[in-house]
This record gives sequence, structure tokens and C-alpha cells, in this order.
Amino acid sequence: MLISKSIKFLLVFILIEISLGFIAKKIFFSQTTGKYARLTYSIQNNSSEVLIMGSSHANRHFVSNILEKELNMTCYNSGVQGQGLIFQTALLKMILKRHEPKVVILNLDEDWLYDSEEFNERLADLHPYYWDFRKELDPILSLSSEFITFKLLFSSYQTNSTLVHALKYFFVPQMDYKGFRPLNQKMEKSFPPINEPLISKEKNEESKIINKNFALMFEEFINDAKLHNVKLIFTVSPQLLQFDRMNVNSSLTLMKIIAEKNRIPIFDFSEDRTFIKKYHLFNDPGHLNNDGAIIFTKLLANKLQEEVDLIK
Amino acid sequence: MLFNSIDFAVFLPTVFLLYWLVKDQNLKLQNFLIVAASYLFYGWWDWRFLSLILFSTIVDYLVGLGLLIQNNKTKRKILLWTSILVNLGFLAFFKYYNFFLDNFITAFSFFGKEIKASSLNIILPVGISFYTFQTLSYSIDVYKRKLEPTKDFLAFSAFVSFFPQLVAGPIERAKNLLPQFYVKRTFTYQLFSEGVKLMIVGFFMKLVVADRAAIYVNAVYNNVDNHAGLSFMAATILFAFQIYGDFAGYSLIAIGTARLFGFKLMTNFNRPYFATSVGDFWKRWHISLSTWFRDYLYIPLGGNQVIYPRWLINIFITFLVSGFWHGANWTFIIWGSLNGIYLIIEAVLFKSNNKKIINVLLTFILICFSWIFFRANNVNDALYIVKSIIINPGKLYIPSDNDVIAPVFAVMAISILLGTEIKKEYFNKSFSLAENKYPLVRWGFYSCILFLILYMGVFNSSQFIYFQF
Repeated sequence: MLISKSIKFLLVFILIEISLGFIAKKIFFSQTTGKYARLTYSIQNNSSEVLIMGSSHANRHFVSNILEKELNMTCYNSGVQGQGLIFQTALLKMILKRHEPKVVILNLDEDWLYDSEEFNERLADLHPYYWDFRKELDPILSLSSEFITFKLLFSSYQTNSTLVHALKYFFVPQMDYKGFRPLNQKMEKSFPPINEPLISKEKNEESKIINKNFALMFEEFINDAKLHNVKLIFTVSPQLLQFDRMNVNSSLTLMKIIAEKNRIPIFDFSEDRTFIKKYHLFNDPGHLNNDGAIIFTKLLANKLQEEVDLIK
Repeated sequence: MLFNSIDFAVFLPTVFLLYWLVKDQNLKLQNFLIVAASYLFYGWWDWRFLSLILFSTIVDYLVGLGLLIQNNKTKRKILLWTSILVNLGFLAFFKYYNFFLDNFITAFSFFGKEIKASSLNIILPVGISFYTFQTLSYSIDVYKRKLEPTKDFLAFSAFVSFFPQLVAGPIERAKNLLPQFYVKRTFTYQLFSEGVKLMIVGFFMKLVVADRAAIYVNAVYNNVDNHAGLSFMAATILFAFQIYGDFAGYSLIAIGTARLFGFKLMTNFNRPYFATSVGDFWKRWHISLSTWFRDYLYIPLGGNQVIYPRWLINIFITFLVSGFWHGANWTFIIWGSLNGIYLIIEAVLFKSNNKKIINVLLTFILICFSWIFFRANNVNDALYIVKSIIINPGKLYIPSDNDVIAPVFAVMAISILLGTEIKKEYFNKSFSLAENKYPLVRWGFYSCILFLILYMGVFNSSQFIYFQF
């Protein structure tokens, strides 16, 4: 009785899982705006010549239309908020399976090589694409999650947590301009609060550990691009406040060493005087507003011109 | 080993199959298997602490045997105190040593005396408060001749270390659980089905209700300087459901797992947020601990069979100790004291328990107020939160982009949970999906719950809150 009833229950569960899972996936892939819609577009439809990659700094700082105009090449911004290097490597592998952009600009976040569970947890954004890109994703997702293939057999697990996004952007569509999403507030000069010691940031850096897997992923990112003859360019976004980062930030230092070893050009705007303490160009301490993004993109485009001319 | 981990997903079916495949369902062999599995389950955290359970088991077993043959009152008392000192000694050392040391140093420095003593780097063994209380109840019951001591060491070891409830209860009484190790267990579909259903509901409460709520609660309570009253209120209400989902969820998984092996554990939660008074709440919340304190502290203190002021003091002492049991921190002591004060006020001012809905709401508000102290990282934070709620409501913190999912899903899950509890509390005899006479409807219901777990749950193998106690 146990076996027959268990099998019947299992059948009912599979039926419900497949039906509701099918609806959940339909909802997921029918999104037209928002993070997942941009991600799906980047993977399935994008055919631009220049591709911007990175976290929210990439997404909010690189004005695709300006780059298109200045470089005379089509451009799309695939920056995804909160994502680290491991995600960028996975995303590049998925994109390259269908399309080879001429140039990929990867905006580096200074903490990308530091060990962080969050970067692994956020890989869940890739779960809905797993079965279409199993070969590419398996080695990456397996690093942080056991039995990933088994778990992702369930459509419900693949689309875990995505419903709120879909509903949110269905009712309030999220505007973007070829992937770029401007921020429109201007910071007030009261940042940082008088009593807040700036030094705390540097002190925190010292206790952080480099994650070897993240460093390997960075090299893999470079190798994948090379393998597909994609011109790779690294950037570091402007900062509001100047920190003596290079002395303490081993993550950024290591990324720069790897870039140099592989002869990848790197344009570091983190100490650019155009932006330091220019509160009116920032939306918040970590992100440029639209005015700041326009100035930054134009400055970058000038610097990129020479690099891009070589591949045209 | 956590219930919400892949390790447990492999461990449970393996032990289950081995257990029921034992030839002729041999009792000794099954009990041995339970002990071995339980030690493996506990040793998964830190094998070194297995020695504590083993030592506690041997001491209480021998104390039980000693009490069986000993009629001399003084010697019986010595035996009982041996058990109390060993069990509470472990607890005092591992859980409270640093707390007392730090507070002594602070107290002396207040009077201008500097004491140099360094706190020890002590790791708190998971679930120590639970299994020490369980074994202690055995010794006390045997001493009071309420229970016949066991001569079966294997059965006693299995009773102490029974893995489903080893680390976070329910704190079973020997009178209920121990005899179940003496009798032949037979596998029935009914038992299996009940166990699996309880586990499914338990996982929903843990992975969807508790873990989703936790994300918002942690964001607010771990950054008190950046939030105001409204956010603290929202976070406190969510915490009320986080801790309920977490602990009641654990209890259901524990009770369900025990059923799979043919055991019946006591109910630990009975829709606590529908209590119509704080007294009623404590009859519905963490029942195994409340009744433990009632039987082994409140009644020995005299209970309500004493003069009126002494009765009120007994209530207060019981809750003060209960707060301290939860953790070596002033926040827990204040939390316990607050509940004691609530009960004293109820005892003095409200003689009859009115079943009106307004009482449910008032009780919920009072309980939520006490949760502030339970959850806050320290007393200063708790006082700041209370002050902010009263004088600085400010703006409600709404997480941006990705993070907004957590509170939205938490509210959705809480609504589902409350919906089913309202039905059980007020309309128990009406139509039921979970207990429907048609199997297809029941299976469909539990399949949907499983789907919701996979679709809305948090899968980062987070700890259960009560493991730290």
C-alpha cells in the first residue's frame, strides 16, 4: 500500500509541479521590462557589437546610446545589479554560445575577488536558463550548490522567487535605454555624516580574503573572450570619495595584475578628479546619476576610440 | 546536521530504510540503529560534543539505577543532586560562564575595583539546553517515584539522543517517550503518511515563512541606526512570524520524522497567535518547555498553593528563569521578566479570560513588544527600538529591487499560514483540503505546498533560531 500510494502521490506532485512550473516559466520568460527581461534579451536576442557587462555600476554608468554614437558601433548594456565575477563569467559563456560581440567592456567592482557567499547565492538568477545552457552553467553552479542538476529538475526551483519581479514590472514597467538605466537624484553635500570615520572602509578591506575560485573565474572570463576573438576592455567606475585603495585592496590589485598579464587595457576612473567630491554627479555614494553617467561615458568613449579603431 | 540540508535529505531515507529493514523488526537492533544514527546526526556539527551526551546519558542512567535500589532519603537526595549538578554544570559552563564572568567584572569595575580575568573561547554545543532538560526530567521523575527507572541502557541512550528532537525539542518527558523504546514498533502507512505531511508543513513554515521574514528582520534589527519606528514595527511583526515559523516548523519536522520511525512526540505549538491572553499564549507556545518549567520549577516553588504574594513571585521567578534558559544575555532576561510581569498583571486584574477577538489582538501586541527584547542584539538596541516606535515613526523601510521579494513573499506565506490557522481555530468542522476524504484532493493540497516551498522558499541551509539555545 505504501509503495502504490507513494507513487500515486508522486504522480500528483509531478503533475502539479509541471503544470504550475510551466506557468511560472511562461510568466518568467514573458517579462518585457526589468532585470530578468534584460538578462533574457542579452542571452537570447542581443546582437550588438559592443556589450557592457558588470554590476549596477555598469548598468547605471554606461550610456549605451552615447557609446553607439561615439564609437559608431551598436551597443547594449547587460550590467546586472549586485552580481559578481562568477556571474559575469557564466553570462559571457551563455552569450558567446549564440553571438560574438566585437567588444566586451567589463566594469570591475573593487571587491569582486573577495570571498563572499552573496555572489554565490545570487547565481540563482541563472537558474531559469539552466537547461538551455547546462554545459556552460553546470561547472559554475556546482561550485556553490550540491546536486544542482537534481534541484533544477523542478521548474518551481528554477523560477524560485521570480514571481514578485514579474508582477512588479508588469504593473510598473521599468524603463531602460538599450539596457542602461539612469539614476536621477542628486546627492547633497552632507555625505558622509560628520561623525562617520572614512577610514572604516580601508580597515574592513584588510580582513577580507581573496577567493581563489573567483580569481580563476576572472581568468576564465578572459580566456573565453580570447577564444572567441572578442576584444576585452576593463574599466573601474568613478568614485565620490578618494580612498587609498590600492595599498589595501588586494582584490582590485590582483585583477589589475591579471589584466596586465593578459594585456587587457584597463581604464580606472576611480581617482578621476572630474568626479571626486562632485556630489551633483552622484545619485548615492556608490552610483553616478544620469548627468554623471553621461560625462563618464563620453570620457570613456574618447579613451576607447583608439582601442576600438584597431578592431574595426 | 540541519533538517533543511542535503545531508539530512540523504541521511533520513537511509536511516529510515535500514530501520524498517531490520530482520523481524528486532527492537534491540532498531534501538541501536537509532542511537548510532543520532550520534552521527549530532556529531555532524562537532563530534567532540558527543562525549557530553554520552556522559550525561551514563550519569543519569546510573542515577536512575541507584534510585531504584536506594531507599535512604539522604542517599537518594545525593543521587538526584549528582544528576542536577552534572546536567546544569554542563549548561552553566558552556552557556553561562562568560556571561557571569563579564557581568562580575562590570559590577566590580562599577565600584572602582579592577578585576583581571579573561573570558574563555567556549563553543556552545548545539541543543545542550534541550537534552540536559530532558535527562534531568528523567532523574527528577524517578526520584519522585513517578517513573520506574529503566535497566535498558540502549533504550535510555536512544531516549536521550533521539535525533528528531535532540537539538531543539520538543523536550520530551521520559514518561511519554521512554516506554516507546520498549515496545515493538510496526510500520503503518498511516504513520508514514502523517509523518510526511507534518514534515511538509514544517518545511513550509521554516523555508518560506521564517526564512523569508528573516531577510527583512535582519536588515532592520542588524542596522538599528538606519531605521525608524515604522520599520521596527514591521520588522517586529515579521519577527513574531519568523520565530514561530522557525521553531514551530522545526517542531513539526521533528514530530513528523519521529512518526516515520513509529514514535509519537508531544505537540509543541497550538496556534499561539490566537491566544486570548498571555497566560493562554504560554499554553500554546513551546508547550514542552512551558510544561517543563511548570512541573519542575513552578510547582516545586509552591505553584498557586501558597499565599497570594508568593504565588505572584513564583510566576515571576518561573518566567525569569525561562528567559535565562533561552540565552546568556540581558535581552532574554528582560524578555522573560516582561512575560512574567504580563502574567502577574493578568492574574491580579483580569480574573476571567474573555474569548473576544480584541483580546487576541491585544495579546499579540504584548507578545510582539516582548519579542523586541528577544530579537534585539543588545539591550541598548532594544531600548532604542522601543523609543523609536513611540516617538519617531519615520518612514517604512521598503527594500529596493531584488530585496523586496523577501518581505512580499513573507507576507504572502504568513497569509497562507494564518488562513489555515483561522480555519482550524474557528471553523474546524468545515471543509478541509488537508484532511479531505478524497485522496486526490489531499495529495493535490500537499503537492501545492511542496510547489510553494520550491517556488518561494529560501534554500541557503539557514540555522534554526532555537539551535543556539
